[in-house]
Amino acid sequence: MSDSSATENRFESFTVGDVSLRNVGVHVVMYGAALLFVVPYLYMITTSLQTQQQAVAEGMHWIPDPITFTAFTDLLTQSLIAQWAINTLIIASVTTLLVLLVDSMIAFALTRLDWPGQRYVLALIIASFMVPGFVNIIPLYILISDLGLLNNYAAVILPFVAGPLGVFLLAQFFRDLPYELQEAAQLDGFSNLRIYTHLILPLSKSILTALALFIFVWSWNQFLWPLIVLQSEAAYTLPIGIVVLRDNFTYQPAVTMASALIASGPLFILFLLLQDQLMSAVEMQGVT
Amino acid sequence: MSVTDRFDGIKGVISSDSRSRKELIEGILFSLPYLVIFGVFLLYPLVMGGYMSLFDWNAIDPTQSVFIGLENYQQLLNDSDFWNALGNTGYFALLTVPSIVVVALGLALGVNRDIKGKGLLRAIFFSPYILTVSVTAVVWVDLYSTQYGLINHYLGMVMANPPQWLQTRLTAMPAIAMTTVWWLVGFSFVILLSARQSVPDYLYEAAKLDGAGTWRQFRDVTVPQIRHAIFFVVIINIIWAFQVYGQPYVMTSGGPGSTTETLVMYLYEAAFAQRNFGYAAAIGYVLTGILVMVSIANYYLLGGDNE
Repeated sequence: MSDSSATENRFESFTVGDVSLRNVGVHVVMYGAALLFVVPYLYMITTSLQTQQQAVAEGMHWIPDPITFTAFTDLLTQSLIAQWAINTLIIASVTTLLVLLVDSMIAFALTRLDWPGQRYVLALIIASFMVPGFVNIIPLYILISDLGLLNNYAAVILPFVAGPLGVFLLAQFFRDLPYELQEAAQLDGFSNLRIYTHLILPLSKSILTALALFIFVWSWNQFLWPLIVLQSEAAYTLPIGIVVLRDNFTYQPAVTMASALIASGPLFILFLLLQDQLMSAVEMQGVT
Repeated sequence: MSVTDRFDGIKGVISSDSRSRKELIEGILFSLPYLVIFGVFLLYPLVMGGYMSLFDWNAIDPTQSVFIGLENYQQLLNDSDFWNALGNTGYFALLTVPSIVVVALGLALGVNRDIKGKGLLRAIFFSPYILTVSVTAVVWVDLYSTQYGLINHYLGMVMANPPQWLQTRLTAMPAIAMTTVWWLVGFSFVILLSARQSVPDYLYEAAKLDGAGTWRQFRDVTVPQIRHAIFFVVIINIIWAFQVYGQPYVMTSGGPGSTTETLVMYLYEAAFAQRNFGYAAAIGYVLTGILVMVSIANYYLLGGDNE
């Protein structure tokens, strides 16, 4: 122990100006790691802009020569990728809106209204956290098929909306809002519906945004379940589509990378704009 | 201690005379939309799955299904493909969970230090987590490619025969694991970083006064203070690892041989290739059993500390 602090002091004493050697080391390691993290993106971008010849040529060509958008135009003209993008957008948007609506409603009922049985309802929802998604695959598939919903977006959306995460996060948040406000509103003759729409929801903008982002990204990214219930190629989502494309355009890395970029581009823009909200949704999960 | 108890305080706050018939009706009305969806698309399939696992299920005409009790489960015990898939999944968990936790912790402690561009680093380490599994997988298949891949291009400069990552039994699963670490580490990183940031500074000041070096501060202050976050991250990664599907499905289709065939892939095949729905439902229940045990172990490990 005295050993390690002695070493530390020796390091600290190697200072250039006010920058210690150790601090330089930390910067080198962290930025080195960051570079490794970014390399797959750089590869994806640069390859998508290359010609087929260059993309499969020996060696690594960081700067495409010439820069070409052939892969993107090929995709748009020879595949259903535009259709898939629209499908994915519709599914993710509807899922997000539904989750926000029904989850906030039940979370309101569980934390802001007083009725017998709410304890058990909440306990049941929390217990369902333990149910891993795939265990339901087969019975759910049979149910969806019996309901005539195969190949229908409802088949992708509704099982996702059944998930308990949003209810739990919102219930946690609503519970901590001050009850005095609600009592004051009640004295002013607000109905519970009005308290929900005009008091609780506006006060919860931050958590609703974080949850919405998280649900949107998750829903956009679903893979296994849509693969099972969406059976016609025109109904596919982007995550499924890019795998189909990879198999159709065998050994055409430029096309594959271009499709990967199209599939993740919108999420990256969203991420760049709202990364703090997205990360706070993750942090909320850690806290619960 | 239970999570529901934390919500009980509410009842005392709302005055008791409001506990009325109206409140009951409103509570039900507000809850109904979610509860219907929850009941139909989560609870019902869950119960139905358990029921199906006791049958030799007839996919074409369910009324012709034959009740066979626990035979599906007995059959699993003697099914070498099932054990292979379970073993592969366990191996995958063994490769990924410790790596993700260690890397996430290292990155979190690094970013927490006095470092320039914290926000940028945080965004970079988190960003792969927002990708879909299929994008992650197709990009990494090309990175691993022996013909034009980036990894072997650079490895080829320092070694004569770089591995054929996804084509050989020895390297296929580790390669998938490496991809998974890159893809998922951001989630654990954010959780651990936020836990570390909530450790009060005075604890470190006190430790320094006692002469504790960096390692002692890490061992005696950081780790005990953020142990709940570490537990959470370990458990959630085990749960994710046991459900792995997309990466091997896209990257290797379970090969070479069946060395990267996972439990969920096996379940999927039993159901949709062999139409053996009852058997697949039994696989699902066994896997759920494993994960519930992990969750319960987690609950007691954490609970024991709390009380």
